[in-house]
Amino acid sequence: MLKITNLHAGYGKVEVLHGITLEVPKGSVVTLIGSNGAGKTTTMRAISGMIAPTEGRITLGGEDITGRESHRIAKLGVAHSPEGRRVFATMTVNDNLLLGAFPRLTGSRPKGDVTADLARAMEYFPRLKERRLQLAGTLSGGEQQMLAMARAMMMNPDVVLLDEPSMGLAPILVEEVFRIIARLRKEGVTMMLVEQFAAAALNVADYGYVLENGRIAVHGPAEKLKNDPAVKAAYLGGH
Amino acid sequence: MQIFTQLLFSGIALGMIYAVIAFGYQLTFATSDTLNFGQGDALMLGALVGLTLVNLGVNYWLMIPLVCLFGAAQGAFVERIGVRPAIKIKSEFGWIMSTIALGIIFKNVAENVWGRDDLKFPSPLPESPMHFLGANVLPMEILVVVGAVLMMLAVEIFNRKSIYGKAVVATFNDRDAAKLMGINTGLVITFSYALSSTTAAFAGVLIAPLTLTGATMGAVLGLKAFAVAIIGGLTSGMGIIVGGIILGVAETTTGFYLSTGYKDVPGLVLLLIVLAVKPAGLFGKSAIKKV
Amino acid sequence: MKPSKWALAGLGVLALVLFPVATTNPYYIHLLETIMIYAIVLFGLDIVVGYTGQVSLGHAGLFGIGAYTAGVLVTKLGVPLLVALIAAIGVTALFGALLALPALRVTGPYLAMVTLAFGTIIQILINEMSFLTEGPMGIKLSKPPLLGHKLDEQEFFWLVVFVLIASLVFVHRVLRSHLGRAFEALRGSPVASDCMGVSVYRYKVYAFVISAGLAGLAGSLYAYSEQYISPNTYNFELTVLFLLAIIMGGRKTRTGALLGAAIIVMLPKLLDDIELFRIVAVTFAVLIAVGSGIQVARGKTTVVKTSIPVVGGIALAALSFVLTTMTDWRLSVFGVITLFVVYFLQDGIVGFVRTTFNIEGHASAEAEETRALTVGGAALQHPSGGTTPELLVASNVLMQFGGLKALNNVDLRVKRGSIHGLIGPNGSGKSTMMNVLTGIYVPTAGSIVFEDKSVVGRTPSDIALSGIARTFQNVQLFGEMTALQNVLVGLHHTFVSNLVDVALHTPRYKRDRDQSAARAHALLSIVGLSDLAGEEARNLPYGKQRLLEIARALALNPQLLLLDEPAAGLTAPDIKELVTIIQKIRAEGITIILIEHHMDVVMAICDTVTVLDFGQKIAEGTPAAVKSDPKVIEAYLGGDAASLSPA
Repeated sequence: MLKITNLHAGYGKVEVLHGITLEVPKGSVVTLIGSNGAGKTTTMRAISGMIAPTEGRITLGGEDITGRESHRIAKLGVAHSPEGRRVFATMTVNDNLLLGAFPRLTGSRPKGDVTADLARAMEYFPRLKERRLQLAGTLSGGEQQMLAMARAMMMNPDVVLLDEPSMGLAPILVEEVFRIIARLRKEGVTMMLVEQFAAAALNVADYGYVLENGRIAVHGPAEKLKNDPAVKAAYLGGH
Repeated sequence: MQIFTQLLFSGIALGMIYAVIAFGYQLTFATSDTLNFGQGDALMLGALVGLTLVNLGVNYWLMIPLVCLFGAAQGAFVERIGVRPAIKIKSEFGWIMSTIALGIIFKNVAENVWGRDDLKFPSPLPESPMHFLGANVLPMEILVVVGAVLMMLAVEIFNRKSIYGKAVVATFNDRDAAKLMGINTGLVITFSYALSSTTAAFAGVLIAPLTLTGATMGAVLGLKAFAVAIIGGLTSGMGIIVGGIILGVAETTTGFYLSTGYKDVPGLVLLLIVLAVKPAGLFGKSAIKKV
Repeated sequence: MKPSKWALAGLGVLALVLFPVATTNPYYIHLLETIMIYAIVLFGLDIVVGYTGQVSLGHAGLFGIGAYTAGVLVTKLGVPLLVALIAAIGVTALFGALLALPALRVTGPYLAMVTLAFGTIIQILINEMSFLTEGPMGIKLSKPPLLGHKLDEQEFFWLVVFVLIASLVFVHRVLRSHLGRAFEALRGSPVASDCMGVSVYRYKVYAFVISAGLAGLAGSLYAYSEQYISPNTYNFELTVLFLLAIIMGGRKTRTGALLGAAIIVMLPKLLDDIELFRIVAVTFAVLIAVGSGIQVARGKTTVVKTSIPVVGGIALAALSFVLTTMTDWRLSVFGVITLFVVYFLQDGIVGFVRTTFNIEGHASAEAEETRALTVGGAALQHPSGGTTPELLVASNVLMQFGGLKALNNVDLRVKRGSIHGLIGPNGSGKSTMMNVLTGIYVPTAGSIVFEDKSVVGRTPSDIALSGIARTFQNVQLFGEMTALQNVLVGLHHTFVSNLVDVALHTPRYKRDRDQSAARAHALLSIVGLSDLAGEEARNLPYGKQRLLEIARALALNPQLLLLDEPAAGLTAPDIKELVTIIQKIRAEGITIILIEHHMDVVMAICDTVTVLDFGQKIAEGTPAAVKSDPKVIEAYLGGDAASLSPA
């Protein structure tokens, strides 16, 4: 579905990614793990067009999307739930979800049944249903995270990029987030997941890439990475 | 007391004009963190184009939508020429200087087209005052208040009800996140400038019959409307109406009790004080500093 | 300065002095005099615009205040020239301080509007206060006597030359000193300035006061030069003209200010002559077209990108033939020029020439020149201070943002001389803790005692000066300044010299300057950046930027050093080097709080580790104890999710 070849990107003159090559096949969950500053978020930002790559190619379903503006990439079917949630604070939960379906409501993606999807999102995230008419800014951190994920799903995207969905959440909510990711995976949603909790991420993923200083150090099926002694020592808590 | 009521009424009418222009500042600031320093000149152009249309025999009421169209085009022009390149190169200095420069150009063009003298804008309503609570109120002043409120309401309803309006509000909230939803935020910014200049042009034709119309009418109005936007807070819709009325009344009373030469001073001093004490405005929320 | 530069400067001065002898045409003498007076305003404006990076639209007002101070004092009280000049500087500087008040709270467009409002108020006041200013009538005055001798046109010209050179030397010295660096640091990163003990508040006021003083001086000279002042001179257009001159000439250079002044004075004269303007416009259009053509041919830019200036240039040339007179359209031409300069000549003429000919700025040269200086003391200074076992005690710290408790009753006790690790998942409140400790956030509740003194409610710069230095998670360097200058900003607190020392280059200032430069070099060599001393911080690789932040923080002579993820984004060898540096720092007796995600680093060097999760402290102890704490393992692995089998 999503294919990245020799991607270089960064901020200003500082290059963060020095040639990343990876692939997210249709219907699978791929996770990027690595320490802070390794380039996980930068990779996602380059995919969704928030920053322009300096070199390399990104294709979505065969179509070259390298360096396109992020609203165009979104319309092509990439839903990016960014780091730090970024919900629209002064708007209601309902409006946030509707905006997730913006490309569908404005004719740049097949419309489908938005109302049904809205109901489905509420079913996935029951807390959002309770707070439908509340302003997103008044939600707790965990609820905002669920809203951000639900909003991304509202696009009916071809690929979902989830950046640190567990950040700043209480352990019990982290569990819930991972449970939902596992469920989405079962439904065949193509997903790319960036996580600081590497073990949990590998548990819900099919394939994993380990990033170190803007390069891919190791990659392989999630099962295999979980048992790789080097990966274990560096990222899985060391025991 | 009667005099004060009188001053209050004209202050409110004046204040609503400020509020409408301040509303224009809010629109562009919310979408792009930029302001049109030539907002006053957009108002002036609206008034002068309106005057020309009226002199050509166009009915006042029919002229208003035409002037709004002109305002939209003018605003989009300012955004494309002055603001977009600066946003691209992330230069704050750039857009400040270029909107100022465009403002100067518009003023100079207006001087050359319409002359340097102030012109009289014919009032579409009877010019005999009505009596209300013992004070005289011009029908035009009521029109100003009603028109201003309607304008702001219309934009508000659009923002709340339509999906495009929601896209605009989403852009206010978080530009990057809005882009990730597939919203063309660049277009939203152009649109917000068009809307902003539309409101200014509209304010221009509303106020023109009450004052004199000319190339220099915009500068101080633009500045005082900024004071209103600051006093009310750049994020608060209610704030600018209250701020506008405070300033309008302060001005009419100063003009009456002190000297008309000083009438611009209280607003500007208020601006300095509010910014020195509570920069987010009386009704704005202060943002959390992030490191 | 190189001998060739001295010679050039000497020639320039000589030419200026001889000018009124060479030409007796009073028109030209007056023109040049105006240029020099404007240049003095621009020197001052550049401090605010170029160095601190604020937009001021109030300088025409300040210029007017200077002119009217002199005018009123001379006509009402008949004060002599020197008194009038000094009073103008003083009064205008006071207004500058007034203008700085809102500048402390707001920046960017807000400040631009405020300064614009200020300028407008000044103009209104001058117009209305006729009892003092004669209102719109204006004030007439004649050339002043000096030492009992009435100056004629020529002699007054020489006076202006003298004042210009004095101002030039003064401004130049101030800007090249620690004060100038402080101004520049404000622009680069206000937060980092504060955390280096350079109070943003204080230096913004200084910048505005000095800038205003120069505008006042120029204003008073202008009053004498014109011999007639009226309120309408000091209007919005003049203020925009000043700004245009600064950008067009080039920010942060005195040459740029002189050039800018010449352009804004000469341009209106050129525009008055339509024939001349037609020639200029056509030449201009041809130059742009040819230049763009070359750039497109070389593939440096695209046709679309260059089309705007090319079409604009041709349109301007065409317009010049349609118009029969230029005077009415002068402001439009200025507007167009401003647009052009803002987008296509951002670094001004001086900047453009520098890039074209690859002339290096003074800053990197400074780094080389000072390399040989030797340090008086050790680069890393052993902190003096108390002997209590605990250097920092934070109790029950609560930091609430709206409904979110970023820190929830956290206790932190840091032992003197130890390395204290602070770990936890992203968003657990580690960086918030740093910001609370350094005064960037004021905690909602709780106490923080450092060296037996509370830090709660004190300003970041005050806390920094009391001995807490830090680095930032998102690197906060002063990007446009060299590595050496960045460290020198950290050494700001070692300067004892004042403005007078700086202006006169007293031995005290020279000692300060050389000592600090030597120490800065020594600090750079500790982190291994010696070779990059003259490089602009923004051009350094990411890992080096992090090391530079550490060197800068050490310059504060801190007792406590807070390192916020120093290893993030570093390669394995870099990390090894970093660990060595951290150990070296600790060996000097500097206490360290270390936030880090690289567990191997934390485990290897920390004495005590505190674990935060969700704003709460969940564990504390030796690295080994913390590592095996089940609560920590859970937090780090994301709760029971780790054991969730893939569905």
